[in-house]
Amino acid sequence: MRWLAFALLLATPAAASEDLVSGLSQDTIEIRSNYNGTDIVVFGAIERPVSEARPDIVVVVRGPETDIRVRRKDRAMGVWINKNRVILHGMPGYYFAAGNRPIAQTANAATLSQYGLGLAALKPRAVTGRHALKPFLDALIRTETRNRLYVEAPDGVEFLSGTLFRVRVPLPSSAPRGHYVAEVYLLRGGRVIDTRASDLVIDQTGLERRIFDFSQGEPLAYGLSVVLTAMAMGWLSSLAFRRA
Amino acid sequence: MEIYLPIAEMSVHWLLLLGLGGGIGFLSGLLGVGGGFLLTPLLIFTGIPSSVAVATTSSHVTASSMSGALAQWRKGAIDLKMAALMTAGGLAGTVAGVWLFAILRRSGQMDVVVSAAYVILLGTIGSLMLRESLSTLRAARSGTMPPRRVERTWIHALPFKMRFPASRLYISAIPPLGIGFLVGMLSAVLGVGGGFVVVPAMIYVLRMPANIVMGTSLAQIIVTTAAATVLQSVSNHAVDAMLALWLIAGGVVGAQLGVRAAARLRGEHLRLLLAVLVIFVAIRLFYGLVATPRELFSVTMGSGS
Repeated sequence: MRWLAFALLLATPAAASEDLVSGLSQDTIEIRSNYNGTDIVVFGAIERPVSEARPDIVVVVRGPETDIRVRRKDRAMGVWINKNRVILHGMPGYYFAAGNRPIAQTANAATLSQYGLGLAALKPRAVTGRHALKPFLDALIRTETRNRLYVEAPDGVEFLSGTLFRVRVPLPSSAPRGHYVAEVYLLRGGRVIDTRASDLVIDQTGLERRIFDFSQGEPLAYGLSVVLTAMAMGWLSSLAFRRA
Repeated sequence: MEIYLPIAEMSVHWLLLLGLGGGIGFLSGLLGVGGGFLLTPLLIFTGIPSSVAVATTSSHVTASSMSGALAQWRKGAIDLKMAALMTAGGLAGTVAGVWLFAILRRSGQMDVVVSAAYVILLGTIGSLMLRESLSTLRAARSGTMPPRRVERTWIHALPFKMRFPASRLYISAIPPLGIGFLVGMLSAVLGVGGGFVVVPAMIYVLRMPANIVMGTSLAQIIVTTAAATVLQSVSNHAVDAMLALWLIAGGVVGAQLGVRAAARLRGEHLRLLLAVLVIFVAIRLFYGLVATPRELFSVTMGSGS
């Protein structure tokens, strides 16, 4: 409960208006050989609340931006083939949004869209393709939700007291490596009062890192060593079975 | 325990990888096919990106073919001259295939052509083998074994005749080169090793003795898939060494068990088994082509085509 002590320490009053403090349970995640995804905790506190009524808290975690290709199958000559393709540029490789109630109820659509709060507010930076975006974007969100890479948790924000809250963020092992940002939004009456952001880095380490670097830096030597290892293992197995 | 795969960038349970590798390795040793056409879709099914699945499968096939081929080598059941000739044709075919691949992709009809070619090829080969092995089995049961036909076909009319002592054949060099070329082209376009084409071609077109076919096919597959592994590493960075290691560990043991099992079975039984397997894959692919998919959209992250 180290983070709790930390949050309480930060929650000591100073100036006038209502604002936020927040932090992460860890700021780096190291991928090792037994890595199978992990949970991080975003925690925070509301300072100098202006009223007894509890404000809304929305927490958003975004992974590194990437280009995503979405293809649609169509029937041609009796068979289903990929005919239409749209590339969505600048989509997050991971996206998590949580509120203390359904995010759509915390503010109007324009505000949610402006700050990118909730899956419904996700938009690409640019689009390549001649088709209407909507069905392709919906399909992408549907697919990534199934892969647990896009998550919306309507009651993911857990209040521990009137002002102290935390959110558990599940990161599957397939969440891309790179730079993540965790943002906390404080809303009252549908307006954003304050925001806080923290950085998170997911990266490979140890043997996994060395394999990855080797495959990128020396692809020919890498390929040859995989082939030689494969042949050596084939040879060893036939030796072992001849003895047996 | 889950194992993190650094190139695929995800985790898979190690028992699943050992089991998949072992099962496909067993089939490889039993039937003399690489098994890539089965392993690649299974890996994709576990969630591994298709480029990584295709590229890493080739290293698994190298290992299990090596394992199986060495076992056959000790029994003197490899025609190295034939394997070398087919490999030479195969390398030329691969170059032609890469060129054809680019043309098809530019025309935008890649998917249809590849899938249709697959279904037709597998369906034809599978049904021919099924018919032949069943009629052989029926003949054996009724006790009227037909004499081995040594009829003169178009193969014997071709020039550049060579002696293949291990296969006890005296035939033109053109058919082995041509089959190698065709298979090399197929493997570049379809991304498979081609064992399921080579084995029937050796049996029915070249009429090689059944006991030589498997080892010779495996020897040729080692070279093709080793080249494919290196090419995939260099051009796509898609070979996952960690994934390869676990698949291979299962695969080489499976291959040895497969070779032992093959020694207990009759040739026509093995051909029947391969025929059923090939037809099964053809039906599965055909179903995928014509059935209405549950999800019309497919999503690919990051760069690629």
